[in-house]
Amino acid sequence: MVYKNIICPVCGAACDDVQVDLDTINRTIDVQNACKMGNAKFQEVVSSHRIVRPTIRENGKVKDVSWDEALEMAADILVKSRRPLFFLGSETSCEAQEVGLHIAEYLGGVADSNATICHGPTVMGIQESGMVGATAGQTKNRADMIVYWGVNALESMPRHMSRYGVFPRGYWTKRGRFDRTLITVDPRRTPTATASDLHLQINPNTDYELLSALFTILNGKEPHTSIEDITGIPISVMKQMVEMMKESNYVGIFVGLGVSSSYGKHRNIEMALNFVKEMNNYTKCNIGALRGHCNVAGFNQLASYLYGYPFGVDFMKGYPRYNPGETTTVDLLREKDVDAAFVMSADLVNHIPADSAKYLTEIPMICLDIAPCPSTTAADVVLPGVIDAMECDGTFYRLDNVPVHFEPFTDSPFPETKSNEETLKMLFEKVKAKKEA
Amino acid sequence: MQVLLNTGSTIDEGRLAKGGNKYSEDYKKECAVCWMCAADYATLGSPEKVAVTSRDGKHTVAVYPKVTEVMRSGQVFIPRSIWANVVVEPDTFSTGSPRYKGSPVIIEPTDEEVLSAEEVVLKLYMGGE
Amino acid sequence: MAVVTLKPTGNFDLTVEAEVITPDNFAGKSAQEIGQLLVWQGPKQYPLANYFEVKGDGADTTEETTITIDGDVSRVKRIGEGMTAGKVLVKGSTGMHAGAEMVGGEIIIEGDTDSWAGMEMKGGLLHIKGNTKDHLGSAYRGSWHGMTGGRIVVDGDAVNQVGGGMSGGEIVIGGSVKHFCGIRINGGLIVVKGDAFRTVGAEMTGGTIVVGGTIERFTPGFIQEDTESDIKFDDIECTGEYKKFTGDYAIPQKGKGTMYVSSVNNECL
Repeated sequence: MVYKNIICPVCGAACDDVQVDLDTINRTIDVQNACKMGNAKFQEVVSSHRIVRPTIRENGKVKDVSWDEALEMAADILVKSRRPLFFLGSETSCEAQEVGLHIAEYLGGVADSNATICHGPTVMGIQESGMVGATAGQTKNRADMIVYWGVNALESMPRHMSRYGVFPRGYWTKRGRFDRTLITVDPRRTPTATASDLHLQINPNTDYELLSALFTILNGKEPHTSIEDITGIPISVMKQMVEMMKESNYVGIFVGLGVSSSYGKHRNIEMALNFVKEMNNYTKCNIGALRGHCNVAGFNQLASYLYGYPFGVDFMKGYPRYNPGETTTVDLLREKDVDAAFVMSADLVNHIPADSAKYLTEIPMICLDIAPCPSTTAADVVLPGVIDAMECDGTFYRLDNVPVHFEPFTDSPFPETKSNEETLKMLFEKVKAKKEA
Repeated sequence: MQVLLNTGSTIDEGRLAKGGNKYSEDYKKECAVCWMCAADYATLGSPEKVAVTSRDGKHTVAVYPKVTEVMRSGQVFIPRSIWANVVVEPDTFSTGSPRYKGSPVIIEPTDEEVLSAEEVVLKLYMGGE
Repeated sequence: MAVVTLKPTGNFDLTVEAEVITPDNFAGKSAQEIGQLLVWQGPKQYPLANYFEVKGDGADTTEETTITIDGDVSRVKRIGEGMTAGKVLVKGSTGMHAGAEMVGGEIIIEGDTDSWAGMEMKGGLLHIKGNTKDHLGSAYRGSWHGMTGGRIVVDGDAVNQVGGGMSGGEIVIGGSVKHFCGIRINGGLIVVKGDAFRTVGAEMTGGTIVVGGTIERFTPGFIQEDTESDIKFDDIECTGEYKKFTGDYAIPQKGKGTMYVSSVNNECL
């Protein structure tokens, strides 16, 4: 049967126009409109490597168990832990994340999500400076200049350029690409850079200096000449870029991990945000982050409205506290300051540095995921995941923080649970029963 | 040779990771790869495999080299994956986010075997369990 | 003068938060009462005596109470937080937030400290004989005002964001700094005797920064005004010739800070 307008649960674009033809008898799925990444994830509905049974590790050996046994052991690990870490990944719904946050609060643990190793510094920069933002549709209809800074959109969010950024015909940009100027700032000559009108190939880790120099130029001053050696960009090109931006009708800047992950981190973002604010004295200008996962923005929204902080929320003292570098996943693991972990819908072992990953494999870990990955290999309890937007409904927040409600086109393959939210609710019940016993 | 390591997504890395194929040969061929320019590759002596070592010397991982025009001398790129993260510096500047971009690393020729993602977890992280 | 000695004996596998370790809390208490004060490890509170052997009673007043920590407490956070008087001597290294928000008195740390030492400090002296990490004397996240008074002396190196948002007081670093030293400062004085890697004085709108060593990457929004020799700020003397810059012109705020950079070590500027 063919299903239309399915939301894609992969990257932050959360595309809402995917068409799916699911053949339940021959177990095949045909997907239209999705990109390579999206298509690959839709194939998980019928894939042969899907995790279908809960497993536990007993005396070093992995064995299949019932859902009840797995949840029992998971609850045991969490209740015995003196300071558990909850890594509530972002390829699942806000509803599931919410339950995870409540368990973390109940146990006095720490709750964190993918933002911590992704656009966490971007969120911190926004806290320092505020943000001139816009929904993706605004940039599509109005922007005649797009700046991709530290992001290879063609490969990390493949449909951003065609849906929102560069190619679509907008209300005031009727000729699509021909009505837009594209600037890329990247130390690599990526496919996105190749497709641009201007590519500033900066030296790695010099984003702050370049932003600072652009800002100095915008303020009518001459940046110090040493900036050319530092960034590898001539001052004349910087001036040209500022002029191009000032002459545009609407500038949409999109930042990626190149800005938030290189040296400077949130200070880079903060400078970019301040620059955008000032640029609004000359023309319309806004900034947004290309978020990596379909609901990575959702955790930030959810944690902020429930507990006041966007990620790295520490419940140790019974009330939420937040201090990136102290209450964030990579630091807690590196400093060995947690003693058990619950990892949901994220392959944490794969994506954190060795020192942190090694400690994570040493402590008891519960992993909820859909396919085998380094995290499930190292886990002591593996709970099969339900695929959001395909097998259950829920809410994502898109890259521009717009909430998107998604409906499934098939059901959870497990009679024991309908969604990750339900799995977590069952776990929470067991945790409460054990704790109160 | 000391170089700056950049990591990030490639479309096939995304396709394989999102498709749950992290333990496939394709994933290893896509991600256990260190991109560098021709001049740097020649300086290394055109090896078949390179070892990437973190600045503090604590962690090393063997990967395949890939010569490409998109890289400048002194800079290398490994697609975001377990191989790259073995050598990414865990220091976060008090932000929670490690140095995925611009970690200083050392690259040199090696005869070590390039491990699969599963082997990296089992051998390097879980101590051969 | 009464000395309370704490000797670490407990299990510090998870870090311990011990904001109770201040002369204010110890004054007027016997060794046994001090041992009953509660500290946090994970979500639970335990008596201080679980972690330290406590010797000596506190004095009647805070001013006369001295705390000596005889050993390494690098996994103990918040030592001396908010203290108003008295003295803390640590014969080892401490964890994060040492001397954060302190108002008066003196903390001497013979080893290293972790990040956030002297955060938003208002007065007193914090002397770190080893190295420290990030956010020394800086503002808490989202706040615009870091340290407002007192003095921090670091004999070794600091890493990032020294004195972020500082509004008053002095920070003297004997060694070197890395990134964003004096970011957003609007008052006070930072003296770095060694080198700085980059972005010194970024976004500063007031205050003074002196760098005696080499700045590897100069902040672009600064303009040279003058050259001065042997500058002096009360008892802090900086000998030699310095190039005097003002900035940061990257940001539109009216006020500008002053940065002195050693001429000998920065010929190319």
